[in-house]
Amino acid sequence: MQKRNNTGSSRRTFLKTSGAALTAAAVGMPMIVTSRKAMAAGNLVVVSWGGNYRAAVEEALTKPFEKEFGVRVTLVDTPDLAKVKAQVMTRNVEWDVFDAVGPMAMTGSKNGYWEALDPAMFDQADLVAPMTKEAVPFYGFTGGICWDRNRHPDGKHPETFTDYFNVDKFPGQRTLRNRASETMEIALLADGVPPDQIYPLDVDRAFRVLDRIKPHIGKWVDQTPQTTTLVETGQVDFSYTYATRAKASQESGKPTGFSFKQNLIGLEYLVVLKNAPNKQNAMNYLKFAMRPDRQAALMDLHGNTPASKKALTLMKPEVKKWLSDPGNPLNLICNDAWWSDHYDELTLKFKEWVLS
Amino acid sequence: MKARSEAWLYVGPATLFLFLVMLVPLVYVAYTSVTTVDGSFSLAAYERLFGSELFRRTLWSTFEISIFASLSSLALGYPIAMHLARQSPRKRAIYMVLVLVPFWTSILVKSYAFTVMLGRVGLVNQFLSWIVGEPVQLPMLFNRFGVMVGMTNYLIPFVVFPVLASLLAIDKSLYRASEIMGAKPPRIFLRITLPLSLPGVAAAVLSTTIMSMGFFVIPALLGGRKDVMMSNLVDFYTRETMDWNMASAIGVILLGIVTLAAVGAGQLKKAGSRAEVQA
Repeated sequence: MQKRNNTGSSRRTFLKTSGAALTAAAVGMPMIVTSRKAMAAGNLVVVSWGGNYRAAVEEALTKPFEKEFGVRVTLVDTPDLAKVKAQVMTRNVEWDVFDAVGPMAMTGSKNGYWEALDPAMFDQADLVAPMTKEAVPFYGFTGGICWDRNRHPDGKHPETFTDYFNVDKFPGQRTLRNRASETMEIALLADGVPPDQIYPLDVDRAFRVLDRIKPHIGKWVDQTPQTTTLVETGQVDFSYTYATRAKASQESGKPTGFSFKQNLIGLEYLVVLKNAPNKQNAMNYLKFAMRPDRQAALMDLHGNTPASKKALTLMKPEVKKWLSDPGNPLNLICNDAWWSDHYDELTLKFKEWVLS
Repeated sequence: MKARSEAWLYVGPATLFLFLVMLVPLVYVAYTSVTTVDGSFSLAAYERLFGSELFRRTLWSTFEISIFASLSSLALGYPIAMHLARQSPRKRAIYMVLVLVPFWTSILVKSYAFTVMLGRVGLVNQFLSWIVGEPVQLPMLFNRFGVMVGMTNYLIPFVVFPVLASLLAIDKSLYRASEIMGAKPPRIFLRITLPLSLPGVAAAVLSTTIMSMGFFVIPALLGGRKDVMMSNLVDFYTRETMDWNMASAIGVILLGIVTLAAVGAGQLKKAGSRAEVQA
């Protein structure tokens, strides 16, 4: 009796266990099958920025791309050139598409980290700035002057970079970025160099202009969020920031004003890593991301200027008012190709100058 | 023999782990610092660094900031540890959680809060203006003072815990004995509490100084243009110019200096304890 009971219970245990195993297999099976299917259709790894930016890329680009091409896209945060170097060095490339700010894209080109792009993939006439051999402009971000509208109503705040450096007319503390790129251009624009003659930069002249403004700079900003928060808290009177930051500040209820009279336009690029594991998908993704409808969808969420001219007309009017006017003769588009040859040397010189 | 094999059992896994994640990469960093792009041996990176005004200034300000931050944290943290040591274990647990609170807030959020407090129209200046009766605008942000506030806020727990451990290890009967002998509190502190807590103090100062050397977000957010840290330069060479040769050389130099400092501190401690024994 005792014995029979024992076997009974062990049989029951066996049945239970195998039942559980079968259920698990049944639940797990479709997963295995789908992951295999996904493998067959292909994968794609896209490196992009985090936070709101990521959510926008997901909604406007990666999700619709998955649907249209049947490719499974993995979105990874924070484009880091050092990680690209490590992947290329160890011949263990995991990333496909890389979302790079100008200097990063150019440094990468110089070091041979990117695949060449076929110019026929993009509508060249539609691009706001020319593509390079390995990088296609993705969008433009707008730099400009911001202030607190309550403390500095109309007429009491600078609107152009010449105003920004005029401390007699507009007394108060200002900010500049703690880096050579952007800051040198702003200094030369402030000194009256016409935008179409800025490059090649007159470095000595730029430093002379910066010497003059140095005592009035309350903060050399390293971390981008401070470009608006310092104005919000009253620490500085005027600040160099970006249209997207000023927009976010206004949307959070702050009385932040932003000037579109004169802007600096920096470019963000898309590139494909050399020997990317999913090269063909990556190329398709680039083409997809540059389509006017996708550009408009993404920029409606980001508030940046699309690199496709046609996309401009497709954008929502309430976002469009935050875009800089490419036709404004006072605006300057940063020349990343020039910077790629001078970035290292000028950055070190600038860092030394800031310390002195 | 048995004790030794047992020791390996306890220490072995951690040693192996650290060997793989610390020593191997460290050797690689040292190797990278003396190898050029084409793989040949060269000390060019070190020559360039020692010839660079930027590097020397940055190195100097890194040390200034680190040592000063560590000492300020000690000045503020030591009394806290003494207070904690006197509490009942239950109350102490609650206070220890309070000491840890600054840890749980992101530095970006905290720096925003510090701007609101220390800024030129911040709470502290408003309060001072109210007391004095005329507008006060003490510069407390974007200078060394701001950096110290931010860094001590972060470092204090690293001072409180080792010092507290030292204080709790002091035999209570020593206090009773000295009181019976008629010593007043200042004397008790100077002759018993302070000397016996020195191992904790040394550990705290050393670890916070070394930790501070790797900081760069706090000086970047709260400091002025002259408050630059070495990690800033390392970041520039690693992620912006991809010159890992230079980045590694900076790392090796920093490591060398810190190691020397640690060994020096160890020697001092040894000399100190020998002196004590003789006395």
